[in-house]
Amino acid sequence: MNFTILAKELKKGLGFTEKITGKNLTLPILNNLLIEALPNFLKISSTDLEIGMQWWGACKTEKEGSVVVPAKFISQLAGTLGEDKIEIKGKGNNLILEGKNIKTQIKGFSTEEFPIIPTFLKEIYIEMDGKKLKEGLSSVVDITSLSQIKPEISGVYFSFNKTNIKLVATDSFRLAEKTIQGEYKNLFNKDISFILPQKTVKELINILPEEDGKNIRIYFSESQVMFETFLPNSTHPEINIVSRQIDGQYPTYEEIIPKTSKTKIVVNKDEFNRQIKTAGLFGGKTNEVIIKIEEKGIEIKSQDSEIGESELNMPAITEGDFSKISFNYKFILDGLTNIKSSEISFEFQGNDGPAVIRPVGDASYLYVIMPIRI
Amino acid sequence: MTNEELWQSVLSQIQLNISPANFATWFANTGISSVEENSITISVPNSFSKEWMEQKYNKDILKIVRDFNEDIKEIKYSVNPINTKIVNKRQSNKKDEPIEQLGFSELEVNKETNLNPKYTFSNFIIGPFNEIAYAAAMSVVEEPGKNYNPFFIYGGVGLGKTHLIQAIGNKIKEDSPSMKIKYIPAEKLISSIVNAIRNQSIEELKKNLREIDVLIIDDIQFIAGKDKTQEEFFHTFNSLYQKNKQIILSSDRHPDNIPAITERLKSRFNGGMIADITMPDYETRLAILNQKAEEKNLSVSGEVLEYIANNVQKNIRELESSISRLLIYKKTNNSKLISIEDAKKLLKNIIVSPSRITNHKKIIESITSFYDISSGNMFLTSRKKEYARPRQIAMYLLKKELKMSYSEIGRKFDGKDHTTVIHACQLIEKEYEENEKMRQEIDLILQRVYSK
Repeated sequence: MNFTILAKELKKGLGFTEKITGKNLTLPILNNLLIEALPNFLKISSTDLEIGMQWWGACKTEKEGSVVVPAKFISQLAGTLGEDKIEIKGKGNNLILEGKNIKTQIKGFSTEEFPIIPTFLKEIYIEMDGKKLKEGLSSVVDITSLSQIKPEISGVYFSFNKTNIKLVATDSFRLAEKTIQGEYKNLFNKDISFILPQKTVKELINILPEEDGKNIRIYFSESQVMFETFLPNSTHPEINIVSRQIDGQYPTYEEIIPKTSKTKIVVNKDEFNRQIKTAGLFGGKTNEVIIKIEEKGIEIKSQDSEIGESELNMPAITEGDFSKISFNYKFILDGLTNIKSSEISFEFQGNDGPAVIRPVGDASYLYVIMPIRI
Repeated sequence: MTNEELWQSVLSQIQLNISPANFATWFANTGISSVEENSITISVPNSFSKEWMEQKYNKDILKIVRDFNEDIKEIKYSVNPINTKIVNKRQSNKKDEPIEQLGFSELEVNKETNLNPKYTFSNFIIGPFNEIAYAAAMSVVEEPGKNYNPFFIYGGVGLGKTHLIQAIGNKIKEDSPSMKIKYIPAEKLISSIVNAIRNQSIEELKKNLREIDVLIIDDIQFIAGKDKTQEEFFHTFNSLYQKNKQIILSSDRHPDNIPAITERLKSRFNGGMIADITMPDYETRLAILNQKAEEKNLSVSGEVLEYIANNVQKNIRELESSISRLLIYKKTNNSKLISIEDAKKLLKNIIVSPSRITNHKKIIESITSFYDISSGNMFLTSRKKEYARPRQIAMYLLKKELKMSYSEIGRKFDGKDHTTVIHACQLIEKEYEENEKMRQEIDLILQRVYSK
């Protein structure tokens, strides 16, 4: 193996792939990266047997070959390199890295031991805008359940329908739904849905493009799914991430979203956000804040026997019954973070039914939250 | 040699040749899923294992297998995700926690069967009012599809129909987990049929419905007037019935009293066991209250429970909500013992229900909708039997519930003579006393009048 690459490019590849590796005591090979010199491309692979990642970058290959080296170590080493070109060679299980004024040798392992990342049938796929997916996933990923008691809600639900794509997450106390409108290519010719583990979703958000107009593809095989991004102006993949899907059926979450409301308020988002934060300070251990809806505004109250109490008022457009409803303020803030509009609507179903927060003028996002029983 | 034994011997030989770490990583949760004439399919937990086995151990495995079975030429691998579900009983440490973050109740429901696990026989209270239904249910549980098919339960609002039919489903699932059970509220059935028609997936829906071993439909009366749903349901019903699959239905009234459903469905509903659930008696109400209080960990004096049992008579759901009210009161007042006076104050809304006030319009509306008579004028004047009887019932109820005078009632019915009204009232009064079916009908109408 012998190739020359820009240090910047190498750092980029190591940065993505290194995240997947971790401390694995039963199978230490998983703490390593597989580095392969292919014609014109350097390929770096990593896996923890749940997620697999492959990265390609341009390089000048003199001689093809591969080595397996410790992920953490080579990343740290790459971090100290400048901007210059570097040359990498393989010597047995070892990797030799040479640059201007530097020559190092790293001990590696046999490539035979490195797991094989599953392959996919690439003829049929879903193709969509990468940035939209990135933004959509970012707005729901933190709502997934962290507990494994109900595995099916420990991931994000993807639903590819005829006219739109829905991304849903819930932890049984609240639920976020993001709808991505617009054209996308689905070569399966049928609706497709699956549940992706939260960990994969977080990695996926990292690799998805930040620029507009870059498409990504999604492939499927037995209980696995692969997301792939492409090199600029090329059909060659840049990064792909392979993951298991969560086995099971996602709850029929549509039933949770209330169709009507007993009380509705419209408020300025930033001010509401501030007020809830202030009230939250007095929420004590329970995080409880009480929202009281009156004719021309709302009152937000919170108290704790050890801290004290607060009473805040703010104007709001209100509709329907006046009521008093109690929430965990953190849950409200989690929903507000993902809203960009300046005003929000908050709809209530009395003090024991689900409430819905929506951005005003944007139907693509909604956040359902259950109250605390008074 | 069984598949397990064969795989065991493969594993023990492989183990000798590879490192324990590799063995533990790649061979955990593997097994032989099937053996054909000259190939074996091995199930592996994920695609990584599949790739690894295919590329690294395939030769070794094949060689060992061939030592036992010469015919095997090929090994296939299939991914079979293991269910990592941790069976974890919900901790009940909510006792001292004064705060209760509510969750989405929909998520408690079993996705596959649609059953809610909270409905079981162990928390179902049996009394004279529901013992026939309960006995029939038990026999359905013992041999689904054999004894009472279809099993039809009817009774008023909040008397435990849903609890009973879901408990049957849960119990059958527990006894024989392989059975396919499906609980569908009629409204949902209607909407899924409508959706299937729109998405042109009706064949798929039909197929799904016909593969079910125990089909439970709640509130079947809602399919009244929904012709397409009735037709689909009729065919599904027949197909399941012929295969001796159990069908369980619930409704708020006897099948004969469900308006606007086809005769052929009616006769099929009547073909099995029909059981009714009536109002619970005082003792049962008290037993229910005791149990609910215990479930919710509420200590309350017998006197208070007796007071509730005496005053909330017609609806088990209201008994439950009375207990919830007491519970909330107790929480907010820091565990003060609830006195009978407190209870009276708290339960004023439930006991002196404001909905007991009604008017003649409501009564007439309830009757016309109950008997599905659309033409209001015909109802006032026609002599046809299908109009005359409901009209007489209307007169009787106006007298009984609103204490209107006979001549006043006469005027409401297109100026009928007060003697006609007296006759009608006496006739229905007598029927109410003597005829069980008539009594049920009138009770059901009254329930409609006073619900909302």
